[in-house]
Amino acid sequence: MRDYTRAVFAIIAKDATVEWRTKTAFLSAMVFAVLVLSILFFARDPTAVSSLDIAPGALWVTFTFAAMLGLNRAFLLERENGAMDGLLLTPVPRSAIFVGKMGGNLLFVALVELISIPLFVMFYNVSLAARLPQLIAVTAMATVAFVAVGTLLSAMVVRTRFAELMLPVLLLPFLIPPVVAAVQITARVLAERPLSEMMGWFKLLAAFDIVFCVLSVLLFEVTLDE
Amino acid sequence: MTEPLLDAREVSRRFGYRQIFRRISLSIKPGEVVALIGPNGAGKTTLLRVMAGLLKPTEGTVDRRGTIGLVAHHSMGYDALTARENLAFAARLWGIDQPGRIDGLLDQVGLSKWGEERTAIFSRGMTQRLAIARALVHDPEILLLDEPLNSLDEPGAQVVLELIEELAGRGRAIALVTHQFERIVRVATSVAYLVGGTLVGPELVDRRAPEAVSAKYRRLLAGA
Repeated sequence: MRDYTRAVFAIIAKDATVEWRTKTAFLSAMVFAVLVLSILFFARDPTAVSSLDIAPGALWVTFTFAAMLGLNRAFLLERENGAMDGLLLTPVPRSAIFVGKMGGNLLFVALVELISIPLFVMFYNVSLAARLPQLIAVTAMATVAFVAVGTLLSAMVVRTRFAELMLPVLLLPFLIPPVVAAVQITARVLAERPLSEMMGWFKLLAAFDIVFCVLSVLLFEVTLDE
Repeated sequence: MTEPLLDAREVSRRFGYRQIFRRISLSIKPGEVVALIGPNGAGKTTLLRVMAGLLKPTEGTVDRRGTIGLVAHHSMGYDALTARENLAFAARLWGIDQPGRIDGLLDQVGLSKWGEERTAIFSRGMTQRLAIARALVHDPEILLLDEPLNSLDEPGAQVVLELIEELAGRGRAIALVTHQFERIVRVATSVAYLVGGTLVGPELVDRRAPEAVSAKYRRLLAGA
């Protein structure tokens, strides 16, 4: 178990170091997040639609597509210089490679989300002071769901010729259920609705997390076979 | 009688409808250095990958009695990391926690002065040296080398040849793919020819007559 954890953290640390030094995906994701948040804000007619009405959708469109830029990069990094072979030759269990890559992706997406939320508050004039714990909970749960399936699909498409185009095409259908749940919860959080109104969606998100994580770990081993 | 560390039995490999090689058997005992020789596209790299466990054979079995170290066409490293970080990462995955191990390896392949540099700036020869160090990080019992002398200058090639001799002397089983017969014959104990999808050999090498290897290779190519 110690070796397993050690391998997972080694992969996370390596991915974080590489991204920190190159900033390839991070800068793209941040530029994308700023653009989406501002375009959606300025595209609405303020006399007809309040910013609060489009805020949940804007937030999740930003998170989802910004995250995709990082997910795309995750296994391309292992394809460069045949680094994936180096990982597969080690005695590290394949599930540990998946958990490590997923951990690195979670770190990346969490950072993008952490920087996007203040921008979201600024553009959409929402007060999150009292609602922050609920927003953090929904963000964490939805992020785990789409990063799990995104990491798996990223590994699947990396050997295809158009990996960067294939990932969104394959991933988006899987993202619809958790993102719909996340938007529904976020809308209720921002409207200051009671927690009981969101519990059903939270349970649904929890179910997605469990199913997506378990299936992704199991299917990853098959993905690495030829 | 010593058991082979690597034992490939009746191994075949196909990609789709294309048969790369068929029914190849090759076993390598401790201290043996087998040079695999063959023309481009003969399947030498595929055979090494099958022996390493990175590709499954379509038929046959490969028994490995030890850990594998592989030097492939690619460095298997990360350009954004330094040479030291690349080796440290590999060491962590192998569970190696020996102080001085990374320094020793960098020194062995002549990269001591470059340890703190990102590998993105490395020349091909330096990348090859690092790939060799990476393959040795866990002191593997079985070493598979695909064109280990590629891109290396004369001193670099000399270092690698000495390293191969030293590792064989310590009982490691080594298979290497090469086109540089004359150099490799100096350290190889036997040579196997992969021509037309079948393996001829391995045959013991007479180091006093390295030209016999290229003569036999030419004959096999002419008959293929």
